[in-house]
Amino acid sequence: MNRLLKCFTFSVLLLLLGAIHALAVDKSPTLYILDIKGNPILHAYVSVGRQGVIPVNEKGACHLPEDLDTNDTLQIVAMGYDIRQLPVKEAMANPSIILEEKIGRLGEIVVSATRTNRSVEDLPMPVTVIGKEKIQETGAMRLSEVLREQTGLQVVANHGVGLQMQGLSSDYILILLDGEPLIGRTAGTLDLDRISVSNIERIEILRGPSSSIYGSEAMAGVVNIITKNNRSGVTSSVQARYRTHRTLDISGDFGISKNGWDVYAYYNRFRTDGFDLSPEIPGLTSSAYRTHSFQTKVGKTFSDRWNAKVFLKYYKEDADNFMELNRQGLGVLADMVGKREDLNVNPTLTFKPSKDWTFTLRGMSSLFGTESRTLYQEDGVLVEAEDFRQFYHRTELQVDHQLTNKQLVTAGAGHLLETVEATRYNDLNRFDAGYLFLQHQWNPSDRWNVVTGFRGDLHSQYGSQLSPKISGQYQINDKLRWQMSIGMGFKAPDFRQVLLNFNNASTGYFVFGANLVQDGMKKLQEQGQIQQILLDPSQFGDLTAETSLAFNTGFRYKLSNDLLLQSNIFRNNISNLIETSPVARLTNGQHVYSYLNVANVVTQGAELDLNWRIANGLQFSAGYMFLDTRDLDVLDRIDEGELYKRDASNRTKLVTRADYGGLLNRSRHSGHMKLNYYEKNSGVDMALRGIYRGRFGFGDINGNLILDDDMEYAKGLMVWNLSLSKSFDNGVRLEVGGNNLFDEVNLHDPTNAGRLLFVGFQSNVHQLFK
Amino acid sequence: MKKLIIWNLALFSTVFIFSCSDSDDPQPEENLEAVLVENLHAPADVMDRETGEIISQGSYKYYSFEDNELAETREGNWDIGFKGLSIIVNSGISGNGKAEAAVVQGVFEQYNAVPESLELKIDTESGLAIPTGSGNGWYNYNMTTHLVSPQPGNILVVKTNGGNYVKMEILSYYKDNPPMNEVSLTTPSAYYTFQYVLQPNGSRTF
Repeated sequence: MNRLLKCFTFSVLLLLLGAIHALAVDKSPTLYILDIKGNPILHAYVSVGRQGVIPVNEKGACHLPEDLDTNDTLQIVAMGYDIRQLPVKEAMANPSIILEEKIGRLGEIVVSATRTNRSVEDLPMPVTVIGKEKIQETGAMRLSEVLREQTGLQVVANHGVGLQMQGLSSDYILILLDGEPLIGRTAGTLDLDRISVSNIERIEILRGPSSSIYGSEAMAGVVNIITKNNRSGVTSSVQARYRTHRTLDISGDFGISKNGWDVYAYYNRFRTDGFDLSPEIPGLTSSAYRTHSFQTKVGKTFSDRWNAKVFLKYYKEDADNFMELNRQGLGVLADMVGKREDLNVNPTLTFKPSKDWTFTLRGMSSLFGTESRTLYQEDGVLVEAEDFRQFYHRTELQVDHQLTNKQLVTAGAGHLLETVEATRYNDLNRFDAGYLFLQHQWNPSDRWNVVTGFRGDLHSQYGSQLSPKISGQYQINDKLRWQMSIGMGFKAPDFRQVLLNFNNASTGYFVFGANLVQDGMKKLQEQGQIQQILLDPSQFGDLTAETSLAFNTGFRYKLSNDLLLQSNIFRNNISNLIETSPVARLTNGQHVYSYLNVANVVTQGAELDLNWRIANGLQFSAGYMFLDTRDLDVLDRIDEGELYKRDASNRTKLVTRADYGGLLNRSRHSGHMKLNYYEKNSGVDMALRGIYRGRFGFGDINGNLILDDDMEYAKGLMVWNLSLSKSFDNGVRLEVGGNNLFDEVNLHDPTNAGRLLFVGFQSNVHQLFK
Repeated sequence: MKKLIIWNLALFSTVFIFSCSDSDDPQPEENLEAVLVENLHAPADVMDRETGEIISQGSYKYYSFEDNELAETREGNWDIGFKGLSIIVNSGISGNGKAEAAVVQGVFEQYNAVPESLELKIDTESGLAIPTGSGNGWYNYNMTTHLVSPQPGNILVVKTNGGNYVKMEILSYYKDNPPMNEVSLTTPSAYYTFQYVLQPNGSRTF
């Protein structure tokens, strides 16, 4: 850590020395292409009639030829901004040209949807992009804090902070970091608090099943986190945020691009005391923890054809908490300490032999490990120790071929190797898989745009899986585009479902993963412990992937450059859901459980998003999601008259369909509204957000194990967040704000810490010394 | 500790009477009373959580529907016994009597007759008449909250040691029959509250 700091200081000094630039003296007429805050748009270019295209320089300036016809028209184009046209005369009179950002980030280039670069408005599936500014304005330190402000996403706790999309839980959402999958899930949840946000450039959110290109896990959708790259010159920044619960987040990064090399390094330190929503119960609701994150990216462009990159990321976390345990009939305190480590190495080689062909060879190796210990406070005796180690390696080749100027074909093949070792699993376990995918992007006419794809997976554990998908978009007119997609998704059984070997000593029941249930049952039978087998033994261990068929349709309606309405309606039919189920009864009256493909679930709903630029510097947006979820087997049991409930006066009655509230932890209604205001004179940015999460079922209370009673719901909450920030010309940015200003908390939502106040500082160090 | 109270529910609730005072039904000559038994405390064995060993063995609480009181010993006249979450009947491996039982589903007040097809069981080596385990017999155990709730709609049909039919519904496993949303891990448990109707004339209707 010390060495890292020294290294960082040295880099900053280096940068200081090299930062003297000569200023060019301009004689020709010069235009400055700026955004509404007056910052130069560095990727803009100006086209002038027959004269061709002139790019802007590093200060956003564009030198026009001197012999221009003043009656000609200039066209100013920059990706992500609305195109602007104006006569040369007008431009000369007022050479600062301001471009407005495309509303709803429609111009943004998205990689994750097709594994090729395409702008949001050309994609025939529901995709949203969260840009750097939106991330910054949330005052967020960890990824979950950004995602909870998005329409249709819900942050929920389950062995870590997980995500919910289209009513599906974290297990069914693929999380990518710079396009590569993150591994290391606990009980299905990939903890979003493992990911620091300070160097995230943008987040792509793709809704609907994407197994046709990504395979397992991409059933509800994909979240792709794209971190900063250094592309030109020398850049460096430091950033610090401090907030309630003694939470501190410090980051620094440094990048240099020279002679075809792009080098980038990032370091983040985070610490928090955690928080407690129920002080009367020993233990914190959210543990105190400290993390280090380190990331480097090294890239080299050898020629127009060859490019090589290596990304490396390391994460380390130490957490502690405590709880009360029953020791020989007495309540005593026990400490829990946890460690988590995560290392990713991701080399990529790109070869472009011609403009129609691209070959990309990617490797991805990842190690993830956790260690947890529970010890009695009074004498330090170890109560429980649990370790988990996962190794994941993937090699993949992707070929993109521009067949005609209207057809782009992408094909890929890959191999995957995974090993896992854990306290409650036997031995070291290894899985192998191979896959192929093919995708065809086609614009049959100016109005139509179709993406077809399928992927075949062959896995040593669950056999083969085919995942097709087709998406299409039709442009009805300049303003309105309609899109529709239908596809299949799947999720492989997780490690626990396959490998668990668990025996509860105190109550005497067993849980076996699918691979162990045969042997485990045989052993118990030999020991004479089995009273009765409840399931045909030929079914033991016969676990297949969970599958879904999903339908998405919606529109993008751009009423004007300043007003955008988007909607998506979805339905996911999920079958073969895996659940624990008793397979045998023991002589002690307890059961042997294993995992079986039993349940069938439907999630459906609609999302609606509005983006409205009321005036320059004043923007309003709102989003709403309606969600309906149901377990089809529960509905069958209700129809059969097999489910009963008790009313408040303890009378028993039949459960009706109207009583049934669907799956737990799903809000039927949720939404948000945001107001962004840029005050020109003071240069202060204000972002006010209200986030609503409607009531949701937290668990069964009345004993029938389904959600069907008002007392089984947690109340809906509206949370208000406000942040103020000011950016100075020298690259310094100051911010202050508060999340959950009115301290609305809910015992059943342990991801909501209540009111958090924060201050922050950021500086682009390289700008200070210019 | 044990508090057995007889409520003549007819005094308090008309709802209970409906099922019992059906004038078209000639069979029960008198209105059958639902009996409410509160806070029958039947603690489970105490177990060491680390080793799973039983430290102190509890004893069953033996209850007689006909007498509406506890029997002193296993040898006495009783129908049903409670210990922790386990319920036994006085027969087979559990006792010397002739009691039998089965779990059926329905609304307690509307359950008017024991069908001929219903097979009542005695306690045997291969299983108790009221099966143990969450979701099998009379209760559900919630893995998240670690609370026990009687499975709504589950009715225990018991043929007493004396050969009469009883329908019984367990209302709570916690002291003073609190609503389930007021129960927490600290609520004293193994306090049974249940209601039952006894048909003393040997017929299968209530």
